[in-house]
Amino acid sequence: MSIQQTPTPIEPKQLTPKQKPTGFMLFVQKCKEQKVLLLMSLPFLIWLFIFRYVPLYGWTMAFQDFRPARPILEQDWAGWKHFEFLFTDPRFFEVLRNTLAMSFINLVLGFVTAITLAILLNELRNLTFKRVVQTISYMPHFLSWVVAAGLVSYTLSLENGIINIILTNLGIVKEPILWLGIGEYFWGIIGASDVWKNVGWNSIIYLAAITMIDTEQYEAAEIDGASRFQRIWYITIPGMKTVIVILLIMNLGYILESGFEAQYLLMNPMNMDYAENLDIFVLRYGISMGNFSLATAAGIFKTVVSFIFLFSANSIAKRLGEARLF
Amino acid sequence: MIKKNLLLLLALSLLLIFAACSNSSDSSTDADSGEDGEVSTEPVSYHVFNATAGRDLDTNTTRIGKLFEEETGVNFNIEYLVGDLNTKVGVMVASGDYPDVIVPDAAIDTLLDAEAFIPLNDLLEEHGQNILDAYSDYLHMFTHDDGNIYYIPFGATVNEYIPNPNIDQGAFWIQRGVLKEYGFPEVNTLTEYFEIIERYAAENPQIDGMNTIPFTGLTYDWRFFAFSNAPNHLAGYPNDGGVMIDMDTHEATVYADSDYAYEYLKTLNEANAKGLVDRELFVANYDEYLAKLSSGRVLGFFDYGWQFGDARNALRDAGNPDREFMALPIVFDGVDYDQYLDPPAFTSNRGMGITTSAENPERIVQFWDNMIKEENQKLIMWGFEDEHYSIAEDGRYFRTDEQLALASKEEERNETGMATFEWSWPRLNGTFSDGNAVEPRRQPEVAFADYSDGDREYLEAYGISTFAELFAQPDDRPWYPVWSANIEQGSPQQIFEERTDELLRRHYARIVLADPADFEKEWEDFVNAYRSLDVDAYENFFTEVVENRLNGEW
Repeated sequence: MSIQQTPTPIEPKQLTPKQKPTGFMLFVQKCKEQKVLLLMSLPFLIWLFIFRYVPLYGWTMAFQDFRPARPILEQDWAGWKHFEFLFTDPRFFEVLRNTLAMSFINLVLGFVTAITLAILLNELRNLTFKRVVQTISYMPHFLSWVVAAGLVSYTLSLENGIINIILTNLGIVKEPILWLGIGEYFWGIIGASDVWKNVGWNSIIYLAAITMIDTEQYEAAEIDGASRFQRIWYITIPGMKTVIVILLIMNLGYILESGFEAQYLLMNPMNMDYAENLDIFVLRYGISMGNFSLATAAGIFKTVVSFIFLFSANSIAKRLGEARLF
Repeated sequence: MIKKNLLLLLALSLLLIFAACSNSSDSSTDADSGEDGEVSTEPVSYHVFNATAGRDLDTNTTRIGKLFEEETGVNFNIEYLVGDLNTKVGVMVASGDYPDVIVPDAAIDTLLDAEAFIPLNDLLEEHGQNILDAYSDYLHMFTHDDGNIYYIPFGATVNEYIPNPNIDQGAFWIQRGVLKEYGFPEVNTLTEYFEIIERYAAENPQIDGMNTIPFTGLTYDWRFFAFSNAPNHLAGYPNDGGVMIDMDTHEATVYADSDYAYEYLKTLNEANAKGLVDRELFVANYDEYLAKLSSGRVLGFFDYGWQFGDARNALRDAGNPDREFMALPIVFDGVDYDQYLDPPAFTSNRGMGITTSAENPERIVQFWDNMIKEENQKLIMWGFEDEHYSIAEDGRYFRTDEQLALASKEEERNETGMATFEWSWPRLNGTFSDGNAVEPRRQPEVAFADYSDGDREYLEAYGISTFAELFAQPDDRPWYPVWSANIEQGSPQQIFEERTDELLRRHYARIVLADPADFEKEWEDFVNAYRSLDVDAYENFFTEVVENRLNGEW
């Protein structure tokens, strides 16, 4: 909350015994007061500088026809050529659409399911059961996507896939469905497998947020006769709001990271119109062709988009008076 | 006092280390200049990176490697690829920190661009006479434009070329039981092929309780070429990559949107309408594909033999010879003869090179020169006499049943070093000077002994002695294979290939699975999209490659 400065009708005092420092002096004074804290954060600043800022010089690659094993300043400059290739490629906007769509689906599904799971787990009274459920729901997170994609593709297969067996036996569909052969289903399949894989893991942070909520609030609500559902709605969810908003802002920064392995492994000629995302595109035309410049250009593009999303999400949160990153 | 002593000790040990270092460099220069031209045989170990899959090892832990070490003093510590090749090589290049020797497989252009390999010309001149002799017909093919040789490719054909008695390359495969059922008919055209499959599938809707899959194929990821190369073979051309080369005009033309491709896709489209095509044709991944083939319910498919070895072994182990597959030389109606068998070819853009990091590279060349001697090549390819092969009175090499079993055992091949040295090193192809095949599997005596009773039944029924005999002999194509032309990183050709691959995958799937009424429209769509790429430039590039190769410039 920002402090509102309202003009005071009272006359300013004539005598100010000790003037409050302003501007630079204030900064210096604060620094002195907090020198221990500053010292403690110094190593991380150095780390940040070395590992996050120094490598940025590599961005020059995007404007060069980069050839490995030559010093970066002896490369041939290429101007905006690689960006041009990227933005004029006929597939680029389809690829971008797929990336955004899958990212958005993953984001929404990921949030809703993880929050729901966290709340449900929190309501459980049987501790053993709670732990078992939690462990089982974490486990797929540690599977490599290579294994997970194999499982997904087997689950969805035509003759032995459990989904098709269930659907046909229940009479919901007559003919088994070729799930991975229909492009329109692909986003949903990715969303669902992402939820299956990550829901347990993602719910951890929300469970942590819930434990921060003062238990007295629940007791008070119970005395006032709030039902279980009302307690969730009026206490648990508002209590988690800060964490949710912060995470949402941070995740919006990753909006162009819709994942890579899952799409790459589940992609096939019949669904590639919907499966190919920015990372796969960059892999095909950048890295596997030894064209590191194009890959860097795509990386810069992603960073710029992430920045825009991050800042707009943050300022929206600011306007709505919610918690925010900065 | 103790402190002082410790310091002294430290200083002393440091001094010793320096002394040791300078010593070793001294001795190596001694070895260099010492016995004019002769290289020492004192033990040395080099680090090799091999871009194929394998188990890391020291060559001197194998029997053959030990012998070679005794002769040359050189040991190689081989590291095989784990993970992604381009990433691995990319990191090497970026850091400039190379192993002494690299077998880069497909990443060879990256390393050449980065100037990672040292020129071998002088070294070969001085220490590699045997290599130069073995490769004499091919030297111009891997000498680069700047006059330098940077790597030694594998398999120089010496003496006589022997075709492989078994099919490990492209073919239309059919379940042998189908042929038996109808009295071993001759199946030569695509129409006949689908007719016989259709008939069998109609009469046998289930095999071993599972639904019969009349026709399938391999379409997963980069292996998609196993589906899209077929029209080229059906038209009677060998696998030259994305183009076919006219025998008279030597012009390269793409075939992706040719009449051949049209006919191939049309046939598949019709077969699909009849329910003959596997519904998961474009969905199954590689493992699922292999699982299907292994199940014995697939009647036919097109693929390259080397891609489904696992499935073949599984079917052989299952013990029903009629469920195994047989390769057929299928062509379109009106095509005179097939060209499935590879012409004698030399792949000039794969090899083993020495990097700038290697000290005393002449030791490595000396090792190569030793291993390419005929007696050592026999050791590598055939194994030890009377253990892995025997010599008949007329000098022909053969293998008894026990020797066959032993020589095909993976552990045995690893222990002797046959598995390590038989590829990825300078080596011979063809025949030895005494007329025996370099590769045992190409020796007719060995191939025939390796056939099972089930195999023999089919061979007799068709009146042939090896399965390759069904196929026509390869015509003389001195430019073959054009796909081995070095395509520059990021060049228009490379981008064209990537775009084509993407287009073919998307459109071929749609065309095959389209309602027959929509077939023409889907085909038109594809041709339009394909022709919007710069096809002419691509064709011209390869026409030029062929022309250059005919003029002896590789």
